[in-house]
Amino acid sequence: MDLRAGDSWGMLTCLCAVLWHLPAVPALNRTGDLGPGPSIQKTYDLTRYLEHQLRSLAGTYLNYLGPPFNEPDFNPPRLGAETLPRATVDLDVWRSLDDRLRLAQNYEAYSHLLCYVRGLDRQAATAELRRGLGHFCTSLQGLLGSIAGVMAALGYPLPQPLPGTEPTWAPGPAHSDFLQKMDDFWLLKELQTWLWRSAKDFNRLKKKMQPSAAAITLRLKAPGF
Amino acid sequence: MDSSYLAQPPPGMGKTRRLASTVQWLLSAALLLYPMNEVNGQKKGTPRDLKCMTSNLQVWDCSWKAPATGQGMSYEVCIDRRSHSCYKSERTSIKIQSLSPGDHEMTIRPLRGSSNSTSKFILSERNVSLIPFTPEISNLSADFATSTLHIQWNDRGSAFLYQAEVIWEIKVLRKESMEVVKLTTYNSSLSGKDVDHHWGWTSDMPLECAVHYVAIRCFIDDPRFSGRKAWSDWSRLKSVSWSPDSPNKVFPQDKVVLVGTDITFCCVTQVKILTAQIGQTSYPLIPLDGRNVAIKIHSISASANSGTNVVFSTYDNIFGTVIFAGYPPDSPQDLLCETYDLKEIICTWSPGRPTALVGPRSTTYTLFESFSGRHVRVKRGDVSSNESYQLFFQMLPNQETYNFTLNAHNPLGRSESAVLVNVTEKVHPHTPASVKVKDINSTAVLLSWHLPGNFAKIKLICQTEIKHNSEQELRNLTVKGVENSNYLMIVNKLNPYTAYTLRVRCSAQTFWKWSAWSSEKRHVTIEAVPSKGPDTWREWSSDGKKIIVYWKPLSVSDANGAILAYDVSYSSEEETRTLPEIPPPQHRAEIWPSHKDCVIDVAARNSAGSSPPSRIAGMQIPNDDLKIEQTVGGGNGILLTWNHDPNMTCDYVVKWCNSTRPEPCLMDWRKVPSNSTETVIRSDQFRPGVRYNFFLYGCKSQGYQLLRSIVGYIEELAPNVAPNFTVEDTSADSILVRWEDIPVEELRGFLKGYLFYFEKGERDTSKMRGLEPGRSDVKIKNITDVSQKTLRIADLQGKTSYHLVLRAYTGGGMGPEKSMFVVTKENSVGLIIAILIPVAVAVIVGVVTSILCYRKREWIKETFYPDIPNPENCKALQFQKSACEGSSALKTLEMNPCTPNTVEVLEAGPTVPKTEDTELASPVAERPESGPGDGDADKQVPVSYCPPLVEEAGPAGQVVYMDVQSGYQPQARPDGGQDGGQDGGPARCTGYKPQLQLPGSRGGAGGYRPQADAGTWTPLAPLAPLAPLSPDSSSDVGSFGSPCSVDSRQFLIPPRNEESPKWSGGGWSFSNFFQNKPND
Repeated sequence: MDLRAGDSWGMLTCLCAVLWHLPAVPALNRTGDLGPGPSIQKTYDLTRYLEHQLRSLAGTYLNYLGPPFNEPDFNPPRLGAETLPRATVDLDVWRSLDDRLRLAQNYEAYSHLLCYVRGLDRQAATAELRRGLGHFCTSLQGLLGSIAGVMAALGYPLPQPLPGTEPTWAPGPAHSDFLQKMDDFWLLKELQTWLWRSAKDFNRLKKKMQPSAAAITLRLKAPGF
Repeated sequence: MDSSYLAQPPPGMGKTRRLASTVQWLLSAALLLYPMNEVNGQKKGTPRDLKCMTSNLQVWDCSWKAPATGQGMSYEVCIDRRSHSCYKSERTSIKIQSLSPGDHEMTIRPLRGSSNSTSKFILSERNVSLIPFTPEISNLSADFATSTLHIQWNDRGSAFLYQAEVIWEIKVLRKESMEVVKLTTYNSSLSGKDVDHHWGWTSDMPLECAVHYVAIRCFIDDPRFSGRKAWSDWSRLKSVSWSPDSPNKVFPQDKVVLVGTDITFCCVTQVKILTAQIGQTSYPLIPLDGRNVAIKIHSISASANSGTNVVFSTYDNIFGTVIFAGYPPDSPQDLLCETYDLKEIICTWSPGRPTALVGPRSTTYTLFESFSGRHVRVKRGDVSSNESYQLFFQMLPNQETYNFTLNAHNPLGRSESAVLVNVTEKVHPHTPASVKVKDINSTAVLLSWHLPGNFAKIKLICQTEIKHNSEQELRNLTVKGVENSNYLMIVNKLNPYTAYTLRVRCSAQTFWKWSAWSSEKRHVTIEAVPSKGPDTWREWSSDGKKIIVYWKPLSVSDANGAILAYDVSYSSEEETRTLPEIPPPQHRAEIWPSHKDCVIDVAARNSAGSSPPSRIAGMQIPNDDLKIEQTVGGGNGILLTWNHDPNMTCDYVVKWCNSTRPEPCLMDWRKVPSNSTETVIRSDQFRPGVRYNFFLYGCKSQGYQLLRSIVGYIEELAPNVAPNFTVEDTSADSILVRWEDIPVEELRGFLKGYLFYFEKGERDTSKMRGLEPGRSDVKIKNITDVSQKTLRIADLQGKTSYHLVLRAYTGGGMGPEKSMFVVTKENSVGLIIAILIPVAVAVIVGVVTSILCYRKREWIKETFYPDIPNPENCKALQFQKSACEGSSALKTLEMNPCTPNTVEVLEAGPTVPKTEDTELASPVAERPESGPGDGDADKQVPVSYCPPLVEEAGPAGQVVYMDVQSGYQPQARPDGGQDGGQDGGPARCTGYKPQLQLPGSRGGAGGYRPQADAGTWTPLAPLAPLAPLSPDSSSDVGSFGSPCSVDSRQFLIPPRNEESPKWSGGGWSFSNFFQNKPND
């Protein structure tokens, strides 16, 4: 909304009026079950927090990996990281997904990613890095729980892991340190993309699940600021 | 056979040996060829060029060259001096058993040819070459992880019956271009059996980088063989290469190397490598086979925690590896093994120099105990590399001495440290815990604590710290160690009812280290009976009926507990009475004894019991010859001395009180043993300048007797106030002064006297303030008799004011002064005479005058009051007449033809508004040279002073002003005509004008000039406009133009110097300043 200086008084008046009438809005008077809205909001907030957390953790971890991994323009091919769940998806395909599928993909992706992050934790040689990774793991575990909560609130079943496909962090003898570093790099990159994508998913879901709030927003726009 | 190899000696031989062998070969070749040439020279087409060689010294393989005579040719070979000396051979070679030393003739005869084609050769061992069998590499393997080649071959020793030394030469070739990268020898011995030999070689380049070939040959060095010895042929090449389908492309992978080593990395790939970098440094590419490349690093530096990344980049891909450069472990530093509890040994050490290797490559420590053969190991990653390490080793029963060896190892090496420990001498107990205190009695407690560990085999020294206030005491106790870890200790010699802080620490009797102190435990011992009765004193009331008993609270050390009450009783011969118990904090009691000679007992009581009573006799023995003495202390106390009196059987008592307090006064008392003759009384309550009474009592069997009464000060001060004095009587020549005593509280010392000062002086003009004894006009009287209260001051002057000052002084100094002014009475006789004489004279003169006037009354009337006045006597007319006649004697009349007989100033006040007007027009006034400013001056006319009387006054009323500056002749301005013009115009009315215009007063000669009119007084004072600005302008200049009387010559309008700055300020500015400057 394009705000001009002269509009501020009108907007303030309208805001006061809306606040005065808030108790009369039926959608806000629900005192019992609040629905999935709050849990979606929390999940969204947690996703944003994890994005922030990952930003500082990735800097530390890439410095630990050393050059060229910590160089800003380093963009290696995705070698040996095929098992990581890919966050990139075609836009049309993504739009064609329904909420259940999106949530299920998020849940599966973070289940996998969590195992890989725990692998990082075991590998890191410095205590400070281990602490940071441990903290991040806890947060990621929380996000997984939040997604599960949202799915449960919406009545979606949790995706069942296929037997034998449980990802484990077990680099084989042929998995060299360098390839491991490449995997770590890609893990951080996929995490970043997944968190960005999840934030978008949960924001979309949040808006979808709050029609009444959206209606208030529309009415707020009506006076013609 | 390659001749070059024949000529080549074994690399293992010395140079000399090589040279000798070459000479020997040439000689034998010459001997061999000689008979052959001889035979060949006889007949052509016969067998020639016989050559013999052996590989095992048992069979000689001889061959010769024969003419091409077609298929099916056979030869008969005969050797002399041998039984079966002829052999038949289908080929041009034959194998024969080795011949005995010496020359043998060998005849070769073709069986189908003529007998003339027979050849004869002289054959001996010297002509035979020893050429071993060509060896074969039975196995070539590569350890790619370590870049090591392993070669295995068999020496075929069974074919060689004799013991002989064998030299093996191995060569390693790299790349398809077969560059020799290693050529080395390997010595072994032939033992008559087939033996496998191994040789390993570590490549400086990873074996994955390029194909590697290996070949081997040998040389048998048998000293019994006199013939020529030669190298065998090279074995067939065997190669090792890397399968390119591995996911890893860069080698070596994840290698741990020593810091400072040179290392080569290669990338095995099918695509073109563009760059290679280690960390952030690029390295030049070394081409290998195909598109493989390598880089070489000299002296690699230590890696970071995650290793050093080596990256090869292609157009769209990267390959890499991680190298870990570090150090082998340093010897463990400061290895120390001790035990806390004799159950477990803890060994600590510091790792020394960091290895730069972490995680799985970090140093692993193993603590090995040689007597028991057990070991423990530090798990990886348990501690960071900078901190000290520690390992716990469970002690074994019945073993006290342990020989520990600490091994440190990492992928780059190992090191160790050792220590031999007798654990009973290395006991560092834990901190004692659970410290508890129990009371035994009022002076002893039982201290218990828990010390984890099994010290049953040793003795412990436990140290207890006992703190009470700031006092600290350490007590050691040697205890036998127990298994249950609980220890007890009795702490005695404590004070009752005293708070102690206790803590404990222990060590082994064979001292190694103290444990840490336990936590502190605060404990208060239980109470005991007060050790003595309170210090008691009694005072009789003034009426002699009542005794007030005082006692002091017991000290903490004497009270031995909280005092609950005091028991007071008094007894005489007849009876004993007990007062009800008196609780603290009351420390006095009143009793009404029936007899003077009663005895009073006071006892203190706490929860443990009563103290022994303090007894004091109530009897007061009178003392008749008692004088009150004075004393002054030394600032912090007062020394009292007395003579020894054998009658005083018990102690002396000194009591003191503030003398200003009402009786009975008692501040404090002190008891002094009876054998003392002096004491110093000190008290925190003593204040300087306060008078105290001290009483010394002697104690006899029946009671106390006051021996001395002393008034004293701890320190004298000057009096606080001046004595209040009055004048009792005043006469013409004396004054009687009376003063009052200063109160004791204000005196603040023993009065030594008064100082009385007096001098002549009025109240306001007196100089007595700085009254000093040295001044001659001040008379001083020092009154040292402090009982004197009056003073008569004689020899004074009558009716004169005197300033009197009185001040008191003590040993502490002079007090403040009090002053008074007194006028002495007048001498009455002189006064009467002084009045009467003038009165009498006046009366006489009056009478005589009256008489004379009465008698000469007609003459007086004629003279002073005639009926018809005579005009000739008019002085005024005479004056006017002479003036009109132009008498030159009167200069003033030259300018003023007619002078009135009276001078009347009509108005002086309007000058003030005139000044203000001028101030408004100041730019004009200050810039007389500015011609256009004249117009502004014209406009000032309405506001300027212009008295209307000018027109009304007739010529007879003219006023003559004479300028006081008329004698001053100002420098005439060159443009004098302008001045005249200024004077003439009506615009000149802007300034003050006299009421009458003087005719002929033109030009600069001037009469009165108004102050403000610049135009008019410029001729007189050209500096006038700047005068207010000029700091050195005198008042004279400022008064120019002021009107003044001819007679008085006083300025009629006083100069306004103080207003001059205001004048100037009105119109002054920087621009004005610059404009005015030329006038300076």
